[in-house]
Amino acid sequence: MGLSASPGFMQGKYAWLKLLLITAIVLLNGYAIVLMYAGGEYAFALLTLVVVSTGVYVFTTKKMYAHRYIFPGIAGMVVFIIFPLAYTIGIAFTNYSGTNLLSLERVEQLHTQKTYMAKGGSFGFQLHQAAEGKYVLALSQDDKLFVTRPVEVVSNADVRARKLTLETKRIKLQAVDALPTSEKAPIKEIIAHRQFFNNIVLVTPEADELVMNGLRKFSAMKPLYSRLADGVVLKESGAILPGPSILRNNQTGELMLPNMETGYFQYIDGDGEFVGSRLAPGFTVGVGWKNFERVATDKGIKEPFIEIFIWTVIFAGVSVALTLAIGMVLACLIQWEELKGRAFYRVVLILPYAIPAFISILVFKGLFNQNFGEINGILESLFGVKPDWFTDPIMAKSMILIVNTWLGYPYMMILCLGMLKSIPEDLYEASSMDGAGPISNFFNITVPLLMKPLTPLLVASFAFNFNNFVLIQLLTNGGPDIIGASTPAGTTDLLVSYTYRIAFQGDGGQDYGLASAIATLIFIVVGALALINLKLTKADKTA
Amino acid sequence: MADVILKNVRKNYDPAIHQDTLRDINLDIQDGEFVVFVGPSGCGKSTLLRMIAGLEDITSGELNIGGNFMNDVPPVERNVGMVFQSYALYPHMDLRENMSFGLKLKKVEKSIIEKRVNNASDILGLDPLLDRKPKELSGGQRQRVAIGRCIVQQPGVFLFDEPLSNLDAALRVKMRIEIAKLHKELQSTIIYVTHDQVEAMTLADKIVVLSPLDPNAATNLEQYGSPLDLYHNPANKFVAGFIGSPKMNFIEGEIVEVGEQESKIKLVTGDIVSAAVDTSRASVGDAVEFGCRPEHLVEDTHAHAENFITGTVVVAEHLGAESYVYMDVKGFDFTFKARSEFPTNNGDELRVGLPTKASYLFDSNGIAFPRTAKYNKD
Amino acid sequence: MAMVQPKSLKYRKLATHVVLCLFLCLIIFPLLMVITISFRTGNFAVGELIPSNPTLDHWRLALGITVVNPDGSLTPPPFPVLTWLWNSIKVAGISALLIVALSTTSAYAFARMRFRGKATILNGMLIFQMFPSVLALVAIYALFNKIGEYIPWLGLNTHGGLIFAYLGGIALHVWTIKGYFETIDPALEESAAIDGATPWQAFRLVLLPLSVPILAVVFILAFIGVITEVPMASVLMQDVDKLTLAVGAQQYLYPQNYLWGDFAAAAVLSGFPITLVFLMAQRWLVGGLTAGGVKG
Repeated sequence: MGLSASPGFMQGKYAWLKLLLITAIVLLNGYAIVLMYAGGEYAFALLTLVVVSTGVYVFTTKKMYAHRYIFPGIAGMVVFIIFPLAYTIGIAFTNYSGTNLLSLERVEQLHTQKTYMAKGGSFGFQLHQAAEGKYVLALSQDDKLFVTRPVEVVSNADVRARKLTLETKRIKLQAVDALPTSEKAPIKEIIAHRQFFNNIVLVTPEADELVMNGLRKFSAMKPLYSRLADGVVLKESGAILPGPSILRNNQTGELMLPNMETGYFQYIDGDGEFVGSRLAPGFTVGVGWKNFERVATDKGIKEPFIEIFIWTVIFAGVSVALTLAIGMVLACLIQWEELKGRAFYRVVLILPYAIPAFISILVFKGLFNQNFGEINGILESLFGVKPDWFTDPIMAKSMILIVNTWLGYPYMMILCLGMLKSIPEDLYEASSMDGAGPISNFFNITVPLLMKPLTPLLVASFAFNFNNFVLIQLLTNGGPDIIGASTPAGTTDLLVSYTYRIAFQGDGGQDYGLASAIATLIFIVVGALALINLKLTKADKTA
Repeated sequence: MADVILKNVRKNYDPAIHQDTLRDINLDIQDGEFVVFVGPSGCGKSTLLRMIAGLEDITSGELNIGGNFMNDVPPVERNVGMVFQSYALYPHMDLRENMSFGLKLKKVEKSIIEKRVNNASDILGLDPLLDRKPKELSGGQRQRVAIGRCIVQQPGVFLFDEPLSNLDAALRVKMRIEIAKLHKELQSTIIYVTHDQVEAMTLADKIVVLSPLDPNAATNLEQYGSPLDLYHNPANKFVAGFIGSPKMNFIEGEIVEVGEQESKIKLVTGDIVSAAVDTSRASVGDAVEFGCRPEHLVEDTHAHAENFITGTVVVAEHLGAESYVYMDVKGFDFTFKARSEFPTNNGDELRVGLPTKASYLFDSNGIAFPRTAKYNKD
Repeated sequence: MAMVQPKSLKYRKLATHVVLCLFLCLIIFPLLMVITISFRTGNFAVGELIPSNPTLDHWRLALGITVVNPDGSLTPPPFPVLTWLWNSIKVAGISALLIVALSTTSAYAFARMRFRGKATILNGMLIFQMFPSVLALVAIYALFNKIGEYIPWLGLNTHGGLIFAYLGGIALHVWTIKGYFETIDPALEESAAIDGATPWQAFRLVLLPLSVPILAVVFILAFIGVITEVPMASVLMQDVDKLTLAVGAQQYLYPQNYLWGDFAAAAVLSGFPITLVFLMAQRWLVGGLTAGGVKG
């Protein structure tokens, strides 16, 4: 409808309310976006910005009235399908993985929090009660004895109750000849004030700084690394380090830089070259096409990848063919009007589709069990064989195809039943005038007439099976394993489950970057299938 | 009751891609008039009706209903009621609910709703059906409900969008008569869209003939006038060809003698015929098209027989009351409406007369020359 | 067909019945097996197709009742099956409702309104819908981790987040409903507009009541789709008592903790209601499936 009079936005009695609501949304999200941007989460900031600003535009512009109806749905798709897709493709070009999980800033922070025991060493620590709830802190190292003047301490309970934030307090120590004579506070007093003690720095007359590092110990702890300003000039070679994140080891004086190629901090030599081993944890860096190169060249990845790719195509193709053949024949049989009990057959034949797939797959997993499974029990008593359904690759693949056919033929049957109705009866009448029997009718009339409208649905079914993650995950979990693979990979793995296992199965190191690279390749395949499907659907409609 | 005035109305669905659908439409529809929009499919007649209803926006120009400027007023406030081609009865409501839906939305008092629904169902003879759902009704009954739904709203203008096209031939004639009767009873303005020129001729006080818009044309409003005016004095070849059944015969020729009362034309067959038209704005040698209605052609033995031409009989249809003889005249199709038992065989040579007073003449742009006489066959 | 039939018809019919019955046996075999297994003693018993000394122990465990063994020891239920079933029904019910609401409004615009980019958006939706969410799980995990920082009840390990995640998958449903809307005469809403209805009233009072059948189909398809979804739920949910049935049920058959009998009872218990709903709705579903085109 080209309704010329769709209600305007800033009209009506609730206009002020809408204005208020929109303003609130804009302010709240604007704040969140700034926070995310400041936190370095550019992708999320961009996503929020795009979704919110489009939403506000759509809901405040009269011209976009129709878009208001589709906005929530489209926004859902953008956030939960398109954004993860783009994000995944982005990850494919990084070394994001179990070992390189954090950002550079976060890793640098972790390094700079490390400490070492510096000159001055470790002191024994005692707490002595002084007057009016004040305490004297007494430190001893061999013959050196230090005390503070009486200080007020805050208990943990107070900190909690009054929600205090403790600031680091520096307290001077004085050298004394003997420890105070007043009573030594029991260790539970120290525990009760631990938060306070953790936040003080004791300064010896030699200006060494001591911090608490044990209930009865204060030591001269210093940060192991400190960050230098960018642009440090190396003395030996005169090379200039541009930065960022140049860390100096305060203990040894060595310089350490983030290696942007490996994603780890490493020490450098006088020429600014990386030497020495990588310091865990690693951080996430862009690695360009390296993950794709690994798929193409690394033997431990390339060979399983190709094997799995071929199996995936075979699996999807054979599944479609088998389910279609069985489904179509059954559909023809049960729509035969002369046959009694069609309604009963129909309901029972649909059963495998009606039962939730995750239940039937697990049921088959149990039935096919090599040792206690009922299928092997029957096979053994009838034929004396006990196939290795889960350890022999060929048997495992057959089992998967059997189960998937069981699961999938009712869908094809339902589709065919719907389409058989649209074949005019008089075609069969005409062919019976020509003397055709049921079999030649099936191959000369039914199959050719069904194939055309079915084609787009078959492509969709191919794509569905190409990505049939649940079946593999629940039935075999990919096994039996491919020998010689450097990532988790099994002979029955489909590309999706292979990718999932690279990303989420712990023993392979959770290589998200590699998994995303393979995912990107699958996206391309699926995208092509989707386009073909769309073309076929359109051709079907115009024909 | 209301009049409807359109000034320079234009419709363009998508300026980026499409040409205009309607251009420069000017109409002045008087209060109480029955106006029919007629034209071949694609001429924009339904679009024009929907623009009046408010279902399509008006690209440019002005629409006034009952003296109020209506371009940007939503449909409900335009004081119009509409009967759709598909009737658009709400399938999930019974007839009473269907008819009272609009009044309920407008929060009209219950007793008034009841009175109006009963009144409308009285007029249309729907009383025994009020509790039924639309799918239980015949086509003619549905049609009546659709009209009833309009009547209860008491609109100033009734809009009918090809209301009879879904009915079979017999029912169509019956409903046509009922609609004519209804107009007499209600005395309200009716705008009615059809592609059937018989409906247009029988129902209309005035007819609007529209043509599919030629990109270069100034307008696609071909003519606006009373049915007989359109029949006798079509403004151009398009209207002449569209009004009348069977279609008017056309044959090319050139003017050999200009006149204010009568002119002489040499047809492509070589025959020279005289026509009762004023060609004073043309000159000798101008290319023209000569027209004559099938019902005006005469046998060569007829009293008015003159201006003879000869053609080959292609086929003859004998309908009982009359016969249609289809001829080929030098590549031009000619239809001759002959008497009932007119004897003829396929392939025969047939000579027919084109009475001078019954002739129409159009210049090379299709514009009609004024006719100077009225023809009476008897 | 009132056609004159050849004599061989009788044998053909008989042959068809035989073939169909054999096939039915193959189909029903696993189902009957699961039912008998659920009554069999112990988790490892082999062989017997009809249990000689049936027990209800597996069913008690599935229903969350602790079983007292003959030797006096107690076997607590291994997993909270009823909680999982309830989680599944809750998440699937709410998701399906929201999916129906979202796809209906979108489908209304696509079926009835003219706007820029309509065809592109529709086709784009179909294409993007085909990308498996399994592959983007890393991103989805990161996304919900991030959402959880700002809106805790939509973050990781919340049912709210899971429901939210399922709302991305509406494209097929939009197509299904749009197809149905297009079979409804647009003149109905135009008539309503002339009668004085706002676009919203025309949608609510005229179009929606006529679309109840297709909305029911989409609801059931969406419901079953969510109930049977594994990868997203397995990554987003962490606590045992927050799992959905589809994720939790796997835990019965880990090689190191193989509870075949207990699983059978739990599978029958939880699968039965879902199967029943599907079978009751199957007549309407056939149309929806043929229109949508991909297993939901």
